[in-house]
Amino acid sequence: MAAYIIRRVLIMLLLLLLLTLIVFVLFSLLPADVARLTCGKICTDQTIELNRIRLGLDKSVFEQYWLFLSALFVGRTYGIGDGAIVCEAPCLGWSFTKSEPVLELILQRLPTTIFLALGAFVLFLVGGVLLGVYSALKRGGWQDRTITSVALIGYSLPSFFFGLVVIYFVIIRWQVLPFPQYEHPWDDPVQFLQTMILPWLVLAILYAAFYTRLTRSQMLETLGEDYIRTARAKGLPERTVIRKHALRAGLTPIVTAAGLDLAGLLGGAIILEAVFSLPGLGGLAISSVVNPDQAILVGITLVTATFIIVANLIVDILYAVIDPRVRVA
Amino acid sequence: MSHDFLQINDLRVSFPTDDGVVRAVSGLTLSVGRGETLAIVGESGSGKSVTAQAIMGLLNPLATEIDGRILLDGVDLLACDPEHRRSMRGSAMAMIFQDPLSSLHPFYRVGDQLIEAVRIHQDVTKKEARTQAIDGLRRVGIPDPERRVDDYPHQLSGGMRQRVMIAMALINGPQLLIADEPTTALDVTVQAQITDLMMDLQQQTGTTMIVITHDLGVVAEMADHVCVMYGGRVVEYGTTDAVYYRPSMPYTRGLLASVPRLDGAYDEHLDPIPGNPPSLIRPPSGCVFHPRCREREAVPGDLCSTVEPDLVTAGPDHRARCHLLTEGTP
Amino acid sequence: MVRFRRGAVIAATAAAASLVLAACGGSGGGSSEGGGEEGGTLTILSSAEQLLTLDPQVVYTGEDLAFLGATIQRSLTAYQVAPGDAEGTTLVPDMATDTGTPSEDATSWSFTLRDGITWEDGSPVTCADVAYGTSRQFDTGLAEGGPVYAVTYLDIPTNEDGSSQYLGPVDGTGQELFDSAVTCSEDNKTITFNLNQPVPDFNYTVTLGFSPVPAGMTTGEEYANKPMSNGPYKIQEYTKGPGGKLVLVRNENWSKDSDPYRLALPDSWVVNFGIEETVGEQRVMQSSGEDATAMVQSLTTASLPVVFEDAQYEGRRIDAFDAYTIYAALNTEKLPDEKVRQAIGAALDREALMLNAGGTYAGDYADGAVKPNIGIDYAPTGLWETLLGAEVPPTGDPELAKKLLSEAGVSNLEVTLDYGQTEDNDKAAAIWVESLARAGITVKPNPIERGQYYGVVFENPNEIMLGGWGPDWPNASTVLPPLFVQGWNLSRVNDEAFAAKVKEASQEVDREKQATMWHELSKEAAQKMWIVPTRFGRDQRLAGTKVGPIFSWAAYGSYPYPIMYATQ
Repeated sequence: MAAYIIRRVLIMLLLLLLLTLIVFVLFSLLPADVARLTCGKICTDQTIELNRIRLGLDKSVFEQYWLFLSALFVGRTYGIGDGAIVCEAPCLGWSFTKSEPVLELILQRLPTTIFLALGAFVLFLVGGVLLGVYSALKRGGWQDRTITSVALIGYSLPSFFFGLVVIYFVIIRWQVLPFPQYEHPWDDPVQFLQTMILPWLVLAILYAAFYTRLTRSQMLETLGEDYIRTARAKGLPERTVIRKHALRAGLTPIVTAAGLDLAGLLGGAIILEAVFSLPGLGGLAISSVVNPDQAILVGITLVTATFIIVANLIVDILYAVIDPRVRVA
Repeated sequence: MSHDFLQINDLRVSFPTDDGVVRAVSGLTLSVGRGETLAIVGESGSGKSVTAQAIMGLLNPLATEIDGRILLDGVDLLACDPEHRRSMRGSAMAMIFQDPLSSLHPFYRVGDQLIEAVRIHQDVTKKEARTQAIDGLRRVGIPDPERRVDDYPHQLSGGMRQRVMIAMALINGPQLLIADEPTTALDVTVQAQITDLMMDLQQQTGTTMIVITHDLGVVAEMADHVCVMYGGRVVEYGTTDAVYYRPSMPYTRGLLASVPRLDGAYDEHLDPIPGNPPSLIRPPSGCVFHPRCREREAVPGDLCSTVEPDLVTAGPDHRARCHLLTEGTP
Repeated sequence: MVRFRRGAVIAATAAAASLVLAACGGSGGGSSEGGGEEGGTLTILSSAEQLLTLDPQVVYTGEDLAFLGATIQRSLTAYQVAPGDAEGTTLVPDMATDTGTPSEDATSWSFTLRDGITWEDGSPVTCADVAYGTSRQFDTGLAEGGPVYAVTYLDIPTNEDGSSQYLGPVDGTGQELFDSAVTCSEDNKTITFNLNQPVPDFNYTVTLGFSPVPAGMTTGEEYANKPMSNGPYKIQEYTKGPGGKLVLVRNENWSKDSDPYRLALPDSWVVNFGIEETVGEQRVMQSSGEDATAMVQSLTTASLPVVFEDAQYEGRRIDAFDAYTIYAALNTEKLPDEKVRQAIGAALDREALMLNAGGTYAGDYADGAVKPNIGIDYAPTGLWETLLGAEVPPTGDPELAKKLLSEAGVSNLEVTLDYGQTEDNDKAAAIWVESLARAGITVKPNPIERGQYYGVVFENPNEIMLGGWGPDWPNASTVLPPLFVQGWNLSRVNDEAFAAKVKEASQEVDREKQATMWHELSKEAAQKMWIVPTRFGRDQRLAGTKVGPIFSWAAYGSYPYPIMYATQ
């Protein structure tokens, strides 16, 4: 098992390296002229050229990539003399539109996104799995039919629309909750919960639908397995059969989906972040596209990709934990 | 026959489906004496596995209708409450299935699966249960059971897995053991070992056994009585010798003709019964076997296709369901 | 060019200009208005991530100029806060005791500061601070996009390439040149600007980028986030992005006596950032609880019919001209024949373009470059009624166009249409193609990446370029000269007679007379069809039930921030 994990981590690091290269080269190929965009207000050809040198854009893509990589470990200085900007290690680049280190920009917003993703994740996973199991056990009954149809609706709701509807009724119309004003949980836990509860629920409902359906079909498939019959023949109470035998076996695809969804949420709840005015990575990504900021985009892409790769690793390890047959492979 | 250990009266099992009601078992009556071995034979769809599961109580109550009585040592299984029923599974009665690989949970060590079986029915510590598990494995002939107990099912061979299944079934000393095609999924070389093992164990423990199979070789070797099922009905029942040497029903004769005989009288060519098993939703009128029967010409008129024959005596401790026995000219 | 923040229009017009009008006299600003209550908090729900900047030398967006000017940044002069195009664009003194004193030929202007003007730390605002702020316009290290009229007008020598020999206070090169162009009196109260040409409306110019910054304070880009206030409020908190906010609270060191211009009624102002547009407008529509004192600075197209047809929103909605004239520039180098240009204008289906932009809420049909809300400099040009020889309906007159083309002896005209690519502009281009085809003119659309649009078309213009322009202050001197002489001359007009008349008008000191001159020039420009004016843009907004007063402040096309209040 340990060897398995070590091997996977090494592969992961390699992947990340390759990914940084690809992302870096891709963004370098974009037509936007960063030197022009960031050269200040009175722009002459000469100042653009100076700015180009300051940003290191006069070098080849691969030299720039090397600078980018080394900056992660030893930091980097843009320009020379008094006007130089120092980006200390670990330096993920410098945003010239926001005049801040990219890493700092990302770290400021990452907690919000992580809290949003994690909270929703727990809710939709627990809710979805429970409903899915219940639905499978009541297969064909009215409970099953109700859950299945509601899940279908949840599945097909556009998050933007759904978020707006929820805000309109819960906050604006009924005034059950104050308008979301994000605070970190360690600063103001009550405010944090008040702000997060709706986006959590909205995300949870959208995603739970999928997990309900997935769990239901997995459970139905598993409940037909021979080893479930064996478990019953042993005289196990039905609850033990479901929990210990059926659920665990049906869990593998759920773990896969959940791992990827969690990682995806970190970069993908952009729309809900906008609707609920949450200061997460999504807003940063959008603003960096609107006011092109290559450094931030590269940074966000890398961070998100890292999460996805790590999530994949965790999924694979969990796989091995759940299913002993995987370990030999 | 009140002394019989297992007694089934007029068992009817049906599954409502969108296409109609599937009558998997239609009025099955039979009994097994204590310590005896009954073999139930028949094609797939004959109702033999359903009967076994009805006895064990493994049929989904939401999707099945069961009528009749199943008395195990005088206790009416169909009348007692589900919790009592559950507590009898794995202790009073146990079952072995056809495919040991899919019947063992792939994610749990075999030891844990055995221990789980022990601890549902016995109030013992995990450690004691583990000792029992190892003993159980040793008893079914698994070498080095102290080590094997920690293996996962996929680490064992097919024969070993079936031995584990047997160990698991016997671990709480059941009075009734139902084996549903216990050797079908195994290599031919292993089949005999498993058959021998089961017979040995039965000798040691005196367990009453029902073997469900389509392998008449197994039947001949193991069973005291044979019950032949067709279309959800018992069509012939008797001692193994009677059924083997004096099959009284054309279907039984067909079955016997379709397999190599273990008594040496090999038919060089196998003689499978032409035609398909009957629909259980709309079974044929009259004798369910008549559309495939080669001997119906021997029965006068259209009796075979209009009147369902009764199970009538064909000899001592031998009954069969065929108009030939009453109307025909053998 | 003052920039306005608004989705579709800005997309189309990107780097366009801004607006203001001129007029002299007029006394104090809001203070005379009265009727407001003191206290409470006014909240702005903004879909933006932040204010573009808080740096007084960089801010250039009409709404931000109005808001920051009302709260934390005073300038030498300001516009009267009152409803009406003329009233709302009347120049009044702010930090200065009057609206400035020009030399006889208007090549130098002096302003004297009132007594008692202080920074938020209590220190006095001096002439040196105004000079220092002004000098920052030369600072190449500041973020781009701010006004640079100091660079244009101050009497400081330039290099051969036209760049100034003064490089700003941080670099310091050429400081002595600046110091002789901008001088302070002995008592550090009177500032004099020496100009390189006569600028009769320089007292309007000083509303843009001439606000003071504490002299000597090393203020680079970071000043954009935490400027020192000299107005009635100061910054308590400023966080950007969704969930972020700008909180302004009372500046204890501001003295009412030094500032007759601002009413400063609410105790605080809050700008909430990253509020999704529809969420913001729904909150203001519902207007319950704290949202009763909230406002949005724009409305989405979808909610316009609701807001403007339901009587419950009466009295808190605004539908008014924004700063922009939307037009298509016709490149006179490639289309030198006036009749050909007129044919293009005559053939165009302006009605379809209007519908594409959103119908009646999008604006009114434009008849020239100068827009009515500029004040006295606007007069109808009669472009579509008489100037082309016949009345041209909004849907265009292909027959007239064909006639004009044949008079010019042109057939099979092929032109290329440059535009910054957005979904709306793609549709607009299609309308151009179809409506000109009716007159036998072939249009080739040439979409250009939005961020690079103006860079491309100034360097490599085709025949037709979509654009937009708003004046920097309420004087056609910030419209006609840049569009048709120099500055934003997409049409590449090179008409010496016209340029001479423009120069004459620019330097005319008699405001009434100047306005009449502009009327004539605007009409001439319209007739020569250097641009096809298509739309005078409009802009809609909505405030909560406890916000007042509600009207569009013509100077900026904004809320009348300096006199706003929250009802308790």
